[in-house]
Amino acid sequence: MKPIRIALTKGRLEKDTVALFEKLGFDCTQLHNKGRKLILTIPDANIEVVLAKAADVITYIEHGVCDMGVVGKDTILEYGGSFFEVTDLGFGKCKFALAGKQGEDFYTGYAEKTIATKYPNVTRRFFEEKGMDVRIVKIEGSVELAPLLNLADGIVDIVETGTTLRENGLEVYEDVAQVSARLIVNTVSLKMYQNEIEKIIGQIESVCAKA
Amino acid sequence: MTQNRLITPEGTKDYLFEEAVLRKRIENKLRDAFAFRGYHEVITPALEFLDVFTTAENGMPIEQMYKLTDPKGRLMVLRPDSTTPIARLCATRLKNEKLPLRLYYNQPVYSVNPSLRGRSDEMLQSGIELIGAVSKKSDIEVLVTAAKALQALEIENFRIELGHIGIFNALVGALKISKEASEAVRQLIENKNYPALNDLLDEMENKEAAAVIKMLPRLFGGREVFQKAKKLIQNTDVIGILDYLEQLYGALSQLGLSDKITVDLGIVNRTEYYTGIVFKGYVEGFGEEVLSGGRYDGLLKEFGEDAGAIGFAVNIDAAAKALLKSETPKLPQAAVLVYSDWAYEVKALEYIDKLAELKIMAEYSLCDSLEDALEDAKARKIRRLDVVTDEVKTIEL
Repeated sequence: MKPIRIALTKGRLEKDTVALFEKLGFDCTQLHNKGRKLILTIPDANIEVVLAKAADVITYIEHGVCDMGVVGKDTILEYGGSFFEVTDLGFGKCKFALAGKQGEDFYTGYAEKTIATKYPNVTRRFFEEKGMDVRIVKIEGSVELAPLLNLADGIVDIVETGTTLRENGLEVYEDVAQVSARLIVNTVSLKMYQNEIEKIIGQIESVCAKA
Repeated sequence: MTQNRLITPEGTKDYLFEEAVLRKRIENKLRDAFAFRGYHEVITPALEFLDVFTTAENGMPIEQMYKLTDPKGRLMVLRPDSTTPIARLCATRLKNEKLPLRLYYNQPVYSVNPSLRGRSDEMLQSGIELIGAVSKKSDIEVLVTAAKALQALEIENFRIELGHIGIFNALVGALKISKEASEAVRQLIENKNYPALNDLLDEMENKEAAAVIKMLPRLFGGREVFQKAKKLIQNTDVIGILDYLEQLYGALSQLGLSDKITVDLGIVNRTEYYTGIVFKGYVEGFGEEVLSGGRYDGLLKEFGEDAGAIGFAVNIDAAAKALLKSETPKLPQAAVLVYSDWAYEVKALEYIDKLAELKIMAEYSLCDSLEDALEDAKARKIRRLDVVTDEVKTIEL
């Protein structure tokens, strides 16, 4: 039987997922001492773990080279794709929000608004639903800079605590979407390895329900 | 435009040697599987008018089609699917034929995929359509043909999965919600998004129907799914469909494939044109389905004929990928190199024909001297050099 391959989003979600795996009783020694290795194994569970950047997790799952993955809803909303999104893992919570300079009324006036964001698809959909034409500018680094430099009237970005916004004189105008980590599964893998994958999903669901 | 001279468009590729041969072999095997069951080949044009694909039943997203215009400025597309053109064909040129009609095709379909996702925009598909039959017999015929088609390809580990569009439609009908809301429910079932589906259904008034729909995406697997579903579901329409699916399941099991046949009651394709049973084929190690099909009793009506139909398509590229063991195609070598001196060219070429009759692959050497030919054969690891003069001399290498 080939091992079930799970892709994890590197960074904070990875730590939370490893903690979850430990609650499931998985031997995570390799995950703690990974060095530079990118493919790791959980010995007694016949599971292989792959570490990847968020958007790549989706790519690997879609192509079926990984069977399951843990990825933020933010990435799912931005990149889309076809896979099963079976569980809300409950960690990695934050939100997408529209923000801008404090005290300004974003929705007044006839002038077309410019929005800076790392998430152009999420932004476009949000304003499409409002029937609002906006100009979207893609920014790769600190998006908060764009309104401060008067490049943009607002930003659409991930907000966790709001500290960065406050310290730069910005505030949330409106929430766009809630975000948390999701367990996703390749559509064929779920069918080909139904017993193995449903067992893992079941274990994870019961731990998440307790939390 | 010169900068594009050396590359193929994204999502397309050149098929070389082993891969090309393998694709042809798959095509031929499928052609046999179809033709010997009384199906007849049709070829529809790669270019069709956009209107063919924008009927209410079809609803294929326009942005996923390759579009161009004809000299009159009318919008045309590269065919995104073969079933719809065949429905058009049956409702027009084949209109007066006696039904049922059994047709098969073997031609590429085209779709615009998001950039840099590594998907194919040109996909070769072979499939059948059984037009003008709505009986259980016709469903069984097409399902068995699908299973036999995958078997004929000698793919070891495959699954055929059965579902029925009517289950979702009947259950969601009981919710009495708007079209938009039912589309939202459909999408969540399709993505097996259990948590979001639960949240959405918790707001519904008909708690009983909502509770069943919550379970729908989880109802997949082997024969035990029918028992599980029947315990949950009281809706008589749905029970009828479940009984029907179980009969089909039983029929397929007679092929000795019961471990390869599964059920997913949560199959709810963006209906495209499906109205009844739907089915998919999966192969181990390939992330997408290699076969998909179903019943579409409303499609021909869009073209003015009222006839039920069912069919499926095999994605040849997917099948080839599953079968192709060596990742990099190699240049195959001839078994024999045939050399001749001046004046014996035609004789040598005729000798190659003789070898061909014996199914020996031979190649005519264009070298100017026997020494060069010998060297060439050695370099390319061809084990036999035949020299043609008035007689043929074989040199084993």
